[in-house]
Amino acid sequence: MISTDPWVWISAFLTICSFSLLYGDNPLFRIAEYTFTSTVVANSVVTSIPTLRDRFMPLFNGTKPWFIIPLALGIMSLFVVWRKYAWVASFPYALFLGVNTGISMRGAVGTTIIGNIRAVMQEGAAILIGSPTDQLGYVVRIVFTVSGMIYLFFTLFLKGSLAKPMGYVRTFGKYAWLVFMAIMIGNGVQQYSGLATSAMNRLIRTWLGF
Amino acid sequence: MTETTSVRTSAGFTYARTYLTRLIILVCALSGLGAMYFTSPQVSGVANELQLWNTAAATWTLFVGIITLSRRYVVSIINRRTYWPYMTYAIVLTPLWVIMGVYAGVYSDLYQTAFLSTKVTLHIAILGQLVYFLLSGSYRVLRMKSFRTALYAFFALTMVVVNSSWMLAIFPQVDKLGYWLLNNPAMAMQRTLTISGAIGGVILSMRILMGLERGSLRATEGA
Amino acid sequence: MAKIPELKSQYIWLVVLLVYISTGAFTLNAPFQMSQATVDAYNYVESLKPGSICVLGGGNVFAFDLESSAGQIAAIKQIARKGLRLVEFPTGVEGIMFHRYCIDAARVDEKYGGPWKYGRDYVLLPYVPGGTIAVVAFLTDVHALISTDLFGTPIKQVPLMNEMHSYKDIALWFMPHWAAETYSPYIIGERGVPLLFFAQASNYVTAAVYMNIYPDKMWVTNGFLGGAQYEKLVGSPGLGQSAVDGYTILSGAFLGFVLLGNMTLLSDVRRKEKVEVKQ
Repeated sequence: MISTDPWVWISAFLTICSFSLLYGDNPLFRIAEYTFTSTVVANSVVTSIPTLRDRFMPLFNGTKPWFIIPLALGIMSLFVVWRKYAWVASFPYALFLGVNTGISMRGAVGTTIIGNIRAVMQEGAAILIGSPTDQLGYVVRIVFTVSGMIYLFFTLFLKGSLAKPMGYVRTFGKYAWLVFMAIMIGNGVQQYSGLATSAMNRLIRTWLGF
Repeated sequence: MTETTSVRTSAGFTYARTYLTRLIILVCALSGLGAMYFTSPQVSGVANELQLWNTAAATWTLFVGIITLSRRYVVSIINRRTYWPYMTYAIVLTPLWVIMGVYAGVYSDLYQTAFLSTKVTLHIAILGQLVYFLLSGSYRVLRMKSFRTALYAFFALTMVVVNSSWMLAIFPQVDKLGYWLLNNPAMAMQRTLTISGAIGGVILSMRILMGLERGSLRATEGA
Repeated sequence: MAKIPELKSQYIWLVVLLVYISTGAFTLNAPFQMSQATVDAYNYVESLKPGSICVLGGGNVFAFDLESSAGQIAAIKQIARKGLRLVEFPTGVEGIMFHRYCIDAARVDEKYGGPWKYGRDYVLLPYVPGGTIAVVAFLTDVHALISTDLFGTPIKQVPLMNEMHSYKDIALWFMPHWAAETYSPYIIGERGVPLLFFAQASNYVTAAVYMNIYPDKMWVTNGFLGGAQYEKLVGSPGLGQSAVDGYTILSGAFLGFVLLGNMTLLSDVRRKEKVEVKQ
């Protein structure tokens, strides 16, 4: 039976407005588009209220009076929208950039670079261990990683005796990238399919009651 | 103040601004690194405090969106640019939504229902539409005109098919193939991207710490 | 071979629309393959002691995270059944709504007849900006970072938060969002907290890199299919199963259209060869 909940009707109307883009650009789609923009921006403001209350509670209750500094920095960060006074925002953004830089360097070096290199070395040691599919998997991982890195880093054409073998490795790396992108696209179809299923189920099951 | 004095003051102010931002970046970055690599409660305390300051100050950036949007839309409405009636609708809807949200509370059932029924519904529908374009695009693009396109089409099609239920009835081992492809060749190339990105990130971070990335903070503009 | 005409995109879209209308109107309950990684993740959660505190952390975009919610809602049912507890820590603006949606959809709160009581078994924390910085600060000292819960109650008055001080009190981190690859170096790498990532399909491979670095501390499920697998293990089919039903027919249509496209190409090539021969 068809739903009587007004929110379900609004939801169904907006879903149909969004899908109307498949027919072509039309006023219904534009209504949906601008509703989306408004709600995203307005939601940021609504979320900011409990967030500000929580972030500055130590200042309000007197336990950390020096939190007046991030309060001032935060207000200064809003000046980024005015070109003439955008330099005022450079100080809070320096804080954001600095803290982020320090933390991201830790993660990048410790885990991403060293961790991955260690994983490649462990796979190299395990090539002769395990089932045939596991062994093949380790070989593929090492070959693809090395050829892919060579393709990315050695974009300048080499000359001399190394040129030809490196050329073959770079060509293999190029095809490895192609295979990678194809697998990513193929696996990603289920993501968008599921979201489309969710949207259609909202119309057919929730709204129309099938 | 004479013109020369004014120019000197402005130059001095710009100089102070530039080097003050560099000092802030350096102190904040080194505190984060120091907390990791030095067992000092004082360094950890400073790093933690700066992280708390960061989260507190960053909250105010939630207002940047509404300021930017309002400025752009109001100017477009006044000048009657394309889609100005829809912008008027957006300018009216935004504060109404904010009032509703602040009055009811972000944690309330009303706000949750409104958010799910509007923004989330729209976003899911917009993303779900992509499957239509994906299918029509695949019909045209996944054609075996050459070895490269054949390779691309083969692997894309293989991944789509091995994830499906009907293939399981024909080849029960097909699920292992799907995960093998994801965890071996695809993961290896993603690892390459990840390592390259991390190396680039570390180099960029070092350039920022050394002050070689100029102008990004607009410290030298204006005034 | 007769020339096969190129299909207009609108005809393809019409077929796709009919596919989704049929799966919306009829429930298929299509079978699907089970992944060992999903089974390992489920078994790890089963091995946690009652009373252990889990964190549902992160937060990006609700619509993308819907894919992760299939597995996450099933996991919440599992941990509620096992007597585990949950702290929800959003680091994205829409994370607040998403985390609440997961709790409501799992029907674990006592208002729905479930075993959980707010404040004792689960807590909703407010959004903390900063992404990685927020996560690092949370893992270091929760009480220094968070002053109130989402409803404005001081966290010292929330019973569960009196037992939650730092990463040492966390038994498992759930991540139904994009950012597992960004946060895992700090959650697992620096502090050794296990992480279960209900990945979106387009993000599975990115996370698999880190699953490979931390094989015993990180588990990743693959999109809606992974969510359906987790739902099956927990015994509560939901969004994941619906998505698998829709994908079952769509994948057939995908195969059909790609084959048709290649037959069109082949017929075109043969026709051009014949024209060249005649000339």
